[in-house]
Amino acid sequence: MRVAVANVGNACEQLWAHRLRSALTVLGIVIAVTSTLTVVGVVQGFTRYVADFLQGLGTNAMWIWPERPAGEAGRRLGRIAMDERDVAAIGENCPALRRISPLVRGERALVQSGRDETRATLEGVSSDYLAIRNLGVAAGRPFSVVDVEEGRAVCLLGRDVVRKLDLADDVVGRAVLVAGRRFRVAGLLAEKGSFLGNSQDDLVLIPYTTALKMYPAQRRRLAVSAQAGSEASVPEARAQIVNLLRRRHRLDAYQPNDFNILTQDEILDAFNSMSLVATVVLAGIVGVSLLVGGIGVMNVMLVSVTERTREIGLRKAVGARRRDILLQFLVEAVALSLAGGMAGVALGYGLCALASLHPRMVDVVVPAWAVALGFGVSTMTGVVFGLAPAVKASLLNPIDALRHE
Amino acid sequence: MAEAVADVIRLEGVAKRYRVGEETVHALRGVDLAIGPNELVAVMGPSGSGKSTLMNILGCLDVPTGGTYRLDGRDVATLSQADLARVRGRRIGFVFQTFELLPRQTALRNVEMPMIYSGASASQRRRRAAEALDRVGLSDRMGHRPSQMSGGQRQRVAIARAIVQGPALLLADEPTGNLDTRTGEEILDLFADLHREGQTIVVVTHEPDVAARCRRIVRIRDGLVESDECRDP
Repeated sequence: MRVAVANVGNACEQLWAHRLRSALTVLGIVIAVTSTLTVVGVVQGFTRYVADFLQGLGTNAMWIWPERPAGEAGRRLGRIAMDERDVAAIGENCPALRRISPLVRGERALVQSGRDETRATLEGVSSDYLAIRNLGVAAGRPFSVVDVEEGRAVCLLGRDVVRKLDLADDVVGRAVLVAGRRFRVAGLLAEKGSFLGNSQDDLVLIPYTTALKMYPAQRRRLAVSAQAGSEASVPEARAQIVNLLRRRHRLDAYQPNDFNILTQDEILDAFNSMSLVATVVLAGIVGVSLLVGGIGVMNVMLVSVTERTREIGLRKAVGARRRDILLQFLVEAVALSLAGGMAGVALGYGLCALASLHPRMVDVVVPAWAVALGFGVSTMTGVVFGLAPAVKASLLNPIDALRHE
Repeated sequence: MAEAVADVIRLEGVAKRYRVGEETVHALRGVDLAIGPNELVAVMGPSGSGKSTLMNILGCLDVPTGGTYRLDGRDVATLSQADLARVRGRRIGFVFQTFELLPRQTALRNVEMPMIYSGASASQRRRRAAEALDRVGLSDRMGHRPSQMSGGQRQRVAIARAIVQGPALLLADEPTGNLDTRTGEEILDLFADLHREGQTIVVVTHEPDVAARCRRIVRIRDGLVESDECRDP
């Protein structure tokens, strides 16, 4: 026992005696672990950010819009259209849906108030739209059913529009010009924040009936935003809508859909598979950094073999057993690798925290598996390459080890 | 006289063969040799004579392929690797031509090293290492590293390391080979002092000056003992 303790002491003494070599070894491991943590952390943070955004688009939301399918079959279809009667039919005949709103997307419309003006996204919607999209009203009131039925000139302004027009909350009830028409401001939308630097509050909502008066061409090209009753009923709702629209559009079994339907889950799935690809690619890059770090460790360890081999020879000559030698070198390698790994983890978290300080940076998330990967691979490299030459040398005849050049 | 006291070393027909590629090299062809307590023996021979191989076998660094080697009456062929390490640590002290000190440790730590493997406590190690360094006249150099010492001082540290465990046999391989004549003389004086105090010493050398300081000279040639003479000093 005392011999074992002395061996551990030996190891620590040798590490300290060869400070530069120890530091170089640790450095390789630190770099590998730090880069793994930082890169994976940023990617994961970004992924979660986008996923959160997609969740924020609505709850169990789905979108349907007319679209000519690609290819020969698509070209053979007649006119591609979706109108108010389609929307009404969806609303009445799809029990799996809870809410539905037509969606008329105008181009970026000019919004004016006094001398101030700005451009904002204009959407014509029904009173259910706010609930589908999880949009709140911060001041004033949402659209009433009557607003929509009568196609009144009322609007809801996003927070950015209010800010850019230099208005305050008292604008509710007053009038602004939207695309040259007078609209009374019914309410202000609650702030939603920005996504990838694009504001989500740069928005003006008006009743879709009003929007159709302004853009009559959109009557046949209505889109729909809908909300399923629950998460479980999303696929059912999707099937009901597809069946209904195919029937209404008199599509034969061999013909493709003349519309497109996308649920939030599908967007999430698509994004997730995309982010998986990104993660795999980045994991490859990180793998290279781990490799480089590992080679650094290996290099330092191998370069010191000559000196260490003589040391091993001497130690054996003065009475060290094989296990004494192995214990000393194992402790050295493990201590170095652990120190490097821990410093790398600390530095990696530090860098991530530093990156998070940037105002437009996403919150960095470091997953446990990245820590395990970086730490595991680099410490393994350290231990293997630290120990392998020692194992070899401990098998040598002491005299051969002493003569080692 | 040699029969009366148990021999420290007794070799009977010791042979050592190496395979070098296809060839078998007979480094030792049957050496008979007995060395009693408190002898100072020089082993001489031209290079390739087998004297280094003999020294390795005497030091339990290598085991013979034929014959028997008894150290303190024990046949080393019956010892395991761990036992051999223990014998090297406690019963044999080595002095090498190139000193073989750990470069980044102090003289004291270098001398302590053999005791690490025999399980001495830290305070014991320190005390005995200090005594050994004092014995070789380096009590004022304990905190120095090898790079801060002269060649003669380094070899003294190595001798202190060799005697710190109180070995039955002190084995020196060309101990003056890397030293100038005057320093070499000092080292040989030190050996003579140790011998006077009862230490058994075997010096492997090819220098006649070194051998001339020993009472007994064993000459090795072609793997055999060529001559074994005792002289009065």
